[in-house]
Amino acid sequence: MLRIFKLLLPAIIPSWRFFDVIAASPRIQYVLLNKQSENLSEWQEYTARLRQLDSITILKRLFWNPHWNEYLFLVSCAERIIANLNLSTDIIDNHHSETEILKRICRALFSHKNSFDEEDMYLQFRLLMVNRDNTQNPAEVVFYSSAKSLTELQCQNGI
Amino acid sequence: MEFEQAYRLTQILTSLAFIQQSLEHIRRYRNEIIIFSLRIIFSLILLSGSYTGFSLIALFIIALLMLTRFQGPYNGGADRMSLLVLSCLCLVQILPDRYWQEVAFGYLALQLVLSYSIAGWVKLINPEWRSGQALSDVFEFSVYPVSESLRRLSGFHHLLVIFSWLVILFELLFPFSLLFQQSLIVALTCAAIFHFSNACFFGLNRFLWIWIAAFPSILWLQDRLVQHL
Repeated sequence: MLRIFKLLLPAIIPSWRFFDVIAASPRIQYVLLNKQSENLSEWQEYTARLRQLDSITILKRLFWNPHWNEYLFLVSCAERIIANLNLSTDIIDNHHSETEILKRICRALFSHKNSFDEEDMYLQFRLLMVNRDNTQNPAEVVFYSSAKSLTELQCQNGI
Repeated sequence: MEFEQAYRLTQILTSLAFIQQSLEHIRRYRNEIIIFSLRIIFSLILLSGSYTGFSLIALFIIALLMLTRFQGPYNGGADRMSLLVLSCLCLVQILPDRYWQEVAFGYLALQLVLSYSIAGWVKLINPEWRSGQALSDVFEFSVYPVSESLRRLSGFHHLLVIFSWLVILFELLFPFSLLFQQSLIVALTCAAIFHFSNACFFGLNRFLWIWIAAFPSILWLQDRLVQHL
């Protein structure tokens, strides 16, 4: 009950400090691993951002924008993890955010599959911080998730 | 605008905003289907104008379930505004006295004004916003630009300075628009254009609809304040 109240309070008494400081921004990268923790692919950025958007698509997205809003939710989860790194008190919240990111990346990658050929395939993500000085080569990895098996994440049939 | 008229219009716009938000969820994940299907059903009931009290309370319970499900808002400020609008609509419904109903609805209008004026103030006191650097950073490395091609806008320094100051001045001056109905209508039109451009550039489509849903409250409050004075 106290937890719900804590979540509800910022909505009832909002701070409205939109974009007050443009701080370093998180990027989510993922990798597929096998059971021996060997990379089966390179680290790749997970993003819903396209290279170019035409005006019709932009207008359509005023009404239908699920992929982008999900991506912003995952960024929020990444920000929660980073905020908790120095606290280490809110383990539940970190676990939730980590699982949400893993499950949603998994679904985005494999939702078309009915079964996995490689039963021992694992998914891991890491978080990098991008700021004004390192937009091209974000170097600072601030978090590695645990590696979860794709079967465990059940990404074939939704979450 | 009369109280009943503004209150009903807020209900209609809120239910439409909730339907839009919820439709984005139900095609995605199995365990989100139930909660968001219920949200659509109760939004439709609210939209119809019957059982409004029942549907508002049901939508509030669903909002709490959503907060628990996502361990906070799914869509940041847009979800927080959704919850604020919903809370104020619920309070108006359950409070027995007209005076307190007006206080609850007025609180929504007040928060709408603060959503612009505080956002404007925090930008004004930040030298990076005043110099256009902050907006340049938003385009250059934040997660918000919807396409890679938009990142090129970070190089248009003079243009970004102008837009930064336009945003700061609009947000700071918004409370003064309450002096006259005409000025408020102009300010709300500017606000809708501002949210529309945020939706186009940064994909913040949910902000557009839920902020517009709160507009009737400020139109009513302005009318109420003018009558009082």
